Amino acid sequence: MRGFAELNPAVLMIYYLCVIGTAMFSMNPVIITLSLFGSLVSLIVLEKKAHIKLHLSFLLLFLILAVINPIWYHNGVTVLFVVNDSPITLEALLYGIFAAAMIIGILYRLRTFTLIMTADKLLYIFGRLSPKMSLILSMALRYVPLMRTQTLKVRRTQKALGIYRGDNIADTLKGEMRIFSIMATWSLENGIITADSMAARGYGEHRRTSFSLFHFSKGDLIFLILCIIPTALIIWALAAGEADFTFYPAMSGINSSPLALTCYISYGFLSFLPVLLEWKEELRWKYLMSKI
Amino acid sequence: MIVIENAGIRRFIKTAFPFIFIPALVILGAVVFDSRKHIIISLGVALMTLFVFFSGYEKKKTGTRRMVIASVMIALCVFGRFIPLFKPITAVTIITGMYLGSETGFLVGAMSAIISNIFMGQGPWTAFQMLAWGLIGFIAGLLSDPLRKSRVLLLTYGVVSGIAYSFIMDIWTTLWYSGEFDTAVYLSALVTAIPYTVSYAVSNFIFLMFLAKPFGEKLERLHIKYGV
Repeated sequence: MRGFAELNPAVLMIYYLCVIGTAMFSMNPVIITLSLFGSLVSLIVLEKKAHIKLHLSFLLLFLILAVINPIWYHNGVTVLFVVNDSPITLEALLYGIFAAAMIIGILYRLRTFTLIMTADKLLYIFGRLSPKMSLILSMALRYVPLMRTQTLKVRRTQKALGIYRGDNIADTLKGEMRIFSIMATWSLENGIITADSMAARGYGEHRRTSFSLFHFSKGDLIFLILCIIPTALIIWALAAGEADFTFYPAMSGINSSPLALTCYISYGFLSFLPVLLEWKEELRWKYLMSKI
Repeated sequence: MIVIENAGIRRFIKTAFPFIFIPALVILGAVVFDSRKHIIISLGVALMTLFVFFSGYEKKKTGTRRMVIASVMIALCVFGRFIPLFKPITAVTIITGMYLGSETGFLVGAMSAIISNIFMGQGPWTAFQMLAWGLIGFIAGLLSDPLRKSRVLLLTYGVVSGIAYSFIMDIWTTLWYSGEFDTAVYLSALVTAIPYTVSYAVSNFIFLMFLAKPFGEKLERLHIKYGV
């Protein structure tokens, strides 16, 4: 089996649907905690460097989201204290904390998604679904860096001509608008040339083919099975109501029936699956190195 | 979004989804599920709506030139999203809808959301952004004639769509946070989003004021010169 990022994009997409889909619709504290820590550790392991600024901004968001609920909501039986005649209850506070943890957990998970699912992998999936959409997407993606280099050229030319001056705001804005306008004209004309060239080379005559390096290997199949089975168990437990948790009016205890426990273990496994895979690869690497 | 050759199935999708499946899902959601599952319903409706639009687009014998122009407009939207504070994405979508028709407007709005989120971060909100921007472009296409004639109306539409975009996205935030639609949380989300709402409205106003006329002329010229 290969590292997490080298798996087949379709398999990765299914993994993300499973792990985010189940976390998004459950307010069970155990699942939320597992989701938060699983995604956080996955991000750290996959990215291999610390993003202090990202973690701080997520912490700030967490605090804001956590206090919104107790300020607006006063249901719940355990009153902690009273502010301006409105009671702050333990239940509302905990609901706010867990709702915030759920959102932050998913945001971390989506960070890993953005990191892993690069543009080529998304195009591979889109290409299977809709060839025309995928062509439009890939052309637009190609135009973005092209426009960036062209803008640089236009800006330098304008500067050299003495038209573009950056010493006051009104002038800068006017100059930027002019550059944007020049860019629009240039890219539209360029687009026409591209289209004619495509037509000349026979675009639209046959079915479009595309090239990709992705294969479906045995490792992908194993990963897919490892991801589908826990998801099925989780959905079973959620549908049976075994993993339900209510905050209002009083909190229900955490269910510890066999099915609920299976659900927690399954979710924990699913949540930490990228980390486990990366660790496994690292161990194998070390083992192979030790043999040399 | 899958290529469907059969005209009958295509017509079925065009009528069945908007008139049967989506209302059925909404009613089913209201009756069967408890209120905590509203988020599933809203995500389902958003995805189905996108499906209807894209299934129409895939089939149409759209000319290669039109398609390339659409992807240029998408790239311009995405390119502009890196400008700090002011985002031309809505303005460019509106202009596209006005001059290239409502379908292309929808396409440019929806696709810009996907591509700019490749750089900014994907998420379940991508579906809502696609729908919100797509509809802004689609409506601009429907209102094409009055918008082209009256500058005041165009600028008003820009400001209104900026505010509407923010309001639509806050519905999503609310649903995600509390699982059901909650007026109190929605209001607090609207209040915290005021700086963003203002920035959307102002940037739409500025970009439409400066870009609408030159862009219109460019697209007209393209029409005269190349017959797009």
